[in-house]
Amino acid sequence: MKPIIEVKNVNKAYKKRRSKECVQAVDNVSFSVQKGEILGLLGPNGAGKTTTIKMICGLLVPDSGTIEISGIDNTKHRLRALKHISAVLEGNRNLYWRLTVRENLEYFAGNRGKSRKEVKERVEQLLHDFRLKEKEKELVNRLSRGMQQKLAIAVSMLAESDVILLDEPTLGLDVETGYEVRELLKSIVKEYERTVIISSHDMDVIQDICDRTVIINKGKVVTDDKIENLMRLFEVKSYIFNLGGLLTDQQLELLQNRFTEMTYTPDTIYSTIEVDLFQNEAIYELFDILKMENTPVESFDRVTVNFEQVFMKIVNGGEKICVG
Amino acid sequence: MRWINLFHANLRKEYIELKRYLPNTIAMVATFYFIFLGLFAGIQFIGDPSSAEANTQYLIVNYVFWFLGLMVIQTIGWEITNEAMRGTLEQLYMSPMGVWRIMAARLASSVVLNIMIITVLLFVTMATTGQWLNIDIITIIPILILTIISMMGVGFMIAGISIIWKQVSAFLQILQFVLAGLTFISVKQAPFLVYFPFVKGVDLVRDVMINGVSLSQIGIADFGILFGNAIFYFVLGLIIFILCERIAMRKGLLAHY
Repeated sequence: MKPIIEVKNVNKAYKKRRSKECVQAVDNVSFSVQKGEILGLLGPNGAGKTTTIKMICGLLVPDSGTIEISGIDNTKHRLRALKHISAVLEGNRNLYWRLTVRENLEYFAGNRGKSRKEVKERVEQLLHDFRLKEKEKELVNRLSRGMQQKLAIAVSMLAESDVILLDEPTLGLDVETGYEVRELLKSIVKEYERTVIISSHDMDVIQDICDRTVIINKGKVVTDDKIENLMRLFEVKSYIFNLGGLLTDQQLELLQNRFTEMTYTPDTIYSTIEVDLFQNEAIYELFDILKMENTPVESFDRVTVNFEQVFMKIVNGGEKICVG
Repeated sequence: MRWINLFHANLRKEYIELKRYLPNTIAMVATFYFIFLGLFAGIQFIGDPSSAEANTQYLIVNYVFWFLGLMVIQTIGWEITNEAMRGTLEQLYMSPMGVWRIMAARLASSVVLNIMIITVLLFVTMATTGQWLNIDIITIIPILILTIISMMGVGFMIAGISIIWKQVSAFLQILQFVLAGLTFISVKQAPFLVYFPFVKGVDLVRDVMINGVSLSQIGIADFGILFGNAIFYFVLGLIIFILCERIAMRKGLLAHY
């Protein structure tokens, strides 16, 4: 099946305003999204997520590479491609604060060239589905942040496009509203059969909603896999060793040289080593180093990791991780 | 049909905002009127009494057209800057209609609403001065439409510049004086001004409103110049706007303020 979004070898570099230094914001990024999928686009600040999202939206022109939305190259046919995509890029700032909820929805629908009849029907439907009917006459600046965020998402739904891009949809929301928005996003995929791409720093949201994640770091895709696969990978590979004493300086140096992803917590009674063992033989090497000074191993076990830890390991590891 | 829907959506938004920002609208109208009173008093008390009547008539037409020109030419530039500040500009760029169409619809809506205000102000100024001008709608409307199209072209040029350099307010202030020069000087005194945007149109309207010239008395050549001027500046404005858009999209300047 042909993907609904196909990003191929996309590059984008910026010149810094003052120093004129060239910064490679996106470096040969490729990934695809299938219809009905929820993809999480992750990365630390300045990784190139927003640049990638803006290029998919056609708001930024890539230096090279192609982006196809429903088979349409958005670098060549931007306006045609925009019929298939909508976005919430700046959350509640995407709205007119001095217009009411209904007026915002009607304006944005009209701006896509929809007829008055179409606008009326669509707006009524969205007010009902997003539980905004009671607030329809309220000015946006009087709404809570959560309500504003819901409205911004409703605006993106006006387009009836195949794909919705959401940049930080839960940023600044309290727990309850964040949960509500999360449920809303799930229902968008289920009930409206849309494809969703979410960029977020909130790992709980990503873990809860997304089927797959693409992690970008320093402009490059470092991981493109299903969340469960990433979790399984790190669950299997992360170990904790409880030692009956301290390591010697020589042992510590050897371990640090051999295992870059290692945390040592010294304690005269129970020291611990947390380490990721990506190759099977690595565990024997670790035991060899411990055996050098006959350091007692009291116990060892797999570490339970959450998605945030997985993300941190991937980003800090810096190397491309291939799974499955 | 999509154009009409787009125009309707923008007309409604402009009307709602005009109502919701009523104090601003009232302040704008009051400022217009008080500045006019000041200029009128100048003619009455300082100017030559023998030409006071003609000067007042010229003042009314020139001042009203300067105000109209200011509104049409500055609107899109201000709108782009405001949308970028609010954070809604990128959302407009997500419309498959294209921003130039949205801005054209918004400008047309703004012109419709502002012409209503300006018409009221025109009658108020005429009543204040006691100088009743020739309001020949059939002659004025085609000239006005072509003049506004030419003004819209200049508006698109400024909007294009404001996409790249968002802080154009200082430039827009200087523009007020350039506009005053273009609307106040007659083509008869400086014939080369005929190649400038909207000057010919303002000149023809002056002829209609002050000298009572009718549609049949305006030559085809004059209309040809007006038409050519309108199309030239509108197309040029649009080309500059679209080029600036492309630069902004390449450099990532759309959302920057």
